[in-house]
Amino acid sequence: MAYSDSMQRTTGPSGPGYGVGARFIRWLTPSNVILVVCALIAAWLVLVPLAALFYTAFAEDTPYGPGAFTIQNFIDALTSRYIGDLFLTSLIFAGGTAIVTFALGTAVAWVVERTDAPGREWFHGFALLSFAVPGLLTTMAWILIFSPNIGWLNGEFKAWFGLDKAPINIYSMGGMIWALSSHYFPLAYLLMGPAFRVLDTRMEEAAVMSGANNYQVATRVTMPLLRPAILSTLLLLFIRGMESFEVPRLLGLPARIFVFTTEIQNATSNAPPQFGLAGAHGIILLLICVAGVYLYRRSTRNAEAFATITGKGYQPTTIRLGGWRWPVFIGMSLMFFAALGLPLFTLVWQSFFRNVTLPTLDWSVLSGMSWDNYDIILHYPIFLNAVKNSVFLGALAATIVVLFTFVMAWIAHRTAKTYGWMLDVLTFVPIAIPSIIIGASILFAYLIIPINVYNTVWILLIAYVTMNLPYGMRFTSSGIVQIHKELEEVAQMSGASLLQIFRRVLLPLLAPVLIAAWLYIFVLAVRELSASIFLSGPGTHVLGTITLTMWEEGGSFGAVCALGVIQIIPLIFIVMAMRWVEKRVGTRR
Amino acid sequence: MLVVENLRKTFEAQSGLVNAVDGVSFTVERGKLLTLLGPSGCGKTTTLRCIAGLERPHAGRISIDGRDVYNSEGNLFVPPNERGIGMVFQSYAIWPHMTVFENVAFPLRVAKGKRYGRAEIAAKVKAALEKVRLGGYEERASTQLSGGQQQRLALARGLVLEPSLLLLDEPLSNLDAKLREQMRFELKRLQLDLGITTLYVTHDQAEALALSDEILVMSGGKVMQRGNPTDIYRRPNSEFVADFIGSTNLLPGRVEGTVGPDGKGVVRTDEGAVHCTFFQPIASGAEAQVSVRPEDIFITAPNAARSVSVLAAKVENRVFLGEVIDYIVRCGSRELRVRAKPEQDFAIGADVALELYADRCVGLRADDSRKAS
Repeated sequence: MAYSDSMQRTTGPSGPGYGVGARFIRWLTPSNVILVVCALIAAWLVLVPLAALFYTAFAEDTPYGPGAFTIQNFIDALTSRYIGDLFLTSLIFAGGTAIVTFALGTAVAWVVERTDAPGREWFHGFALLSFAVPGLLTTMAWILIFSPNIGWLNGEFKAWFGLDKAPINIYSMGGMIWALSSHYFPLAYLLMGPAFRVLDTRMEEAAVMSGANNYQVATRVTMPLLRPAILSTLLLLFIRGMESFEVPRLLGLPARIFVFTTEIQNATSNAPPQFGLAGAHGIILLLICVAGVYLYRRSTRNAEAFATITGKGYQPTTIRLGGWRWPVFIGMSLMFFAALGLPLFTLVWQSFFRNVTLPTLDWSVLSGMSWDNYDIILHYPIFLNAVKNSVFLGALAATIVVLFTFVMAWIAHRTAKTYGWMLDVLTFVPIAIPSIIIGASILFAYLIIPINVYNTVWILLIAYVTMNLPYGMRFTSSGIVQIHKELEEVAQMSGASLLQIFRRVLLPLLAPVLIAAWLYIFVLAVRELSASIFLSGPGTHVLGTITLTMWEEGGSFGAVCALGVIQIIPLIFIVMAMRWVEKRVGTRR
Repeated sequence: MLVVENLRKTFEAQSGLVNAVDGVSFTVERGKLLTLLGPSGCGKTTTLRCIAGLERPHAGRISIDGRDVYNSEGNLFVPPNERGIGMVFQSYAIWPHMTVFENVAFPLRVAKGKRYGRAEIAAKVKAALEKVRLGGYEERASTQLSGGQQQRLALARGLVLEPSLLLLDEPLSNLDAKLREQMRFELKRLQLDLGITTLYVTHDQAEALALSDEILVMSGGKVMQRGNPTDIYRRPNSEFVADFIGSTNLLPGRVEGTVGPDGKGVVRTDEGAVHCTFFQPIASGAEAQVSVRPEDIFITAPNAARSVSVLAAKVENRVFLGEVIDYIVRCGSRELRVRAKPEQDFAIGADVALELYADRCVGLRADDSRKAS
């Protein structure tokens, strides 16, 4: 309450000021005004698209936009012959991905956080990199590896084992789950890592001293302590699986395996577009995700009770692997090679050839390598324009989100304790909304609302800002919570104004956190596809949409791979920058 | 000079409104050190934060050197950054991204309406650091300082603008015992040297007794007692104060006969008649308590007692502490603590006599809260 009350100077003969008007004037402090403005902007960003989604879903499709009220869209959606399959495949895909991803990510988290295996720093960096590489590129790489027709590893397997059929078909449910898991497992690592890190090993030691053996320690102490983290990680991975678009689009469509996200996109790209049907599917998917997020919140609600961080001088003890150090290292390396190395190698290799070419050391093939693909891409005006758009939008969205959530987080935690939760809730809502729905809803909204952003980069900016609000808020809130309030109060007592406190105390102290948030959001925005696909048009292509278009229509795999490599190289530097920031902050995030 | 009149502050809690500060009034004369002492939640920190301007009171008046900084009549509220108060926080709140020099220079750099030149800033920072014996540490990173040094740095930052009022919020509570004692002397020396009006908040009674010109004991948002350290210790006016400051033995009973004009009276307890001194008027036959500190009970062999009030007791337990022996003795149905000189050496189980002296036994009115329960 301190700032909201104290940053204004009230003087004057107005008496005790108990009237409604006087009380309103007193309430009208700068920070309360900022609170209202922030709340309104956040509400606009989040609620308008949702309202448009519901409006569209409950209206007839007419050539002139949404028509009369109807529930026909839901009847169409739910009575379709495919609806059973749709639910089943979506659940199997998301559930399977969650389990595989969790297993891989937890193994990495355990090795990196709790053991003395060599190369842990590298594994951490690789994990960040696999997460940063756009899912679209990873999926394309897996097609080039395991497609029954052109997959080079399938070809090698056939040659080695004398098979006449390709042993692995990436165009299958298993293939989809693997392709997505290889891209998402770092997420499980990033979520489980902190849980392992804060687990007070003394609790395990106490169990050992009480006479428990390793198995009993694991099942009776470690697992129960980690249960909230495990549950919430699984739920979040499941939601992410339900939301994913790239893998179902590239692998599911050819295999005729449909999930909600591809159905929604299909309905809008039909001629004429079935916006109502897309809206109905969107709402069904949204409900599944909201239920997931609700359970997620419930599972983390009592996290306090499980908080085992002891604070002062707490140093987690690492488990000495002894003779297992190198086997564990080799296992980890193999896993990263399979999940990250194979796709990256494939993209790089293929980028030097015009047509699909099996990796080989044969000189006749190697001599055919050329920079032609890069030459084509770098002189391709649409690509250059897409790069410009993506970088411009990514940087602008990251800047807006970081500054906006920084102010909101400060208000929520410092001045407006009574109303601050509204900002938290508003900014958290987009986490439950799959990006494909954000894209579709924003499209619906600005087709209805007479604000002329359709077919401009600004509609993409609105989408990028909206979908990244939760991440910005998480970064900035955790940063502000770590700063002792007295650091600001003593500045105030020293005579500093609110602006001076922000500039001289908060900004320098939070700089590493803000930079980390900026980089994170920048990466997410630059590689965005599933919302962009609804919102980009001629002239407003972004990297994601141009890559997809070239893959599906361009014909030259080599050129697309070159396009991918060009995207990945800057990502490597960004990941290095993130590592540098992490070290400055002193914690991994 | 600091004047606080009828200060009130309410907080909304889940159970409803809580009066954190409930009509507190006091004055700190120029150059004096007043301590707000009480258990956590007694309202002492809220009072301090209201004076700082970090909390907005609901009613009352606060004036510093004759200038009102808060007055509920007239709706006056001067924001904290314009009050010109030096303050040291419990956590020190040293900015980790600034050097020692920059931490101290900060108040000069953000000063409203006055621009300090480079040389002037350097001189003032140097002077402030030397006052707290941190001269030569200017270019150190503030995070490299030890706890005690950070404490001094926080003090230098609070003093650099030469404020007319210094607020100290539990400044020693994060230091270890030895350093705390050392800083206690240091603080006292600084305060005397600079002659700065100081308000000190603590829950540590030893700190309060050692440092203060005057102590205000608070509980439940109200002032329980005000006085100099000797008065507060020797003449507590309530069971709460007697019990909170130091440790004490309380013997309940009834007033026997009338209390003389000098305050001398007799309380009939279950264990026997105790002669004591009352500092407040009390009626004959009223319920009363006798408060007697462990070091004021003289323990002796059963037949050797010569005092007017003598209670028979048995040693239950004893702890030898070198300069003293602490006894727990059973006296009737009651356990009493006695602190004795090492010569008064009795074994566990020994029968002893406890001598009590009227001028060391304080008669208190029985607390209303006690009667209710």
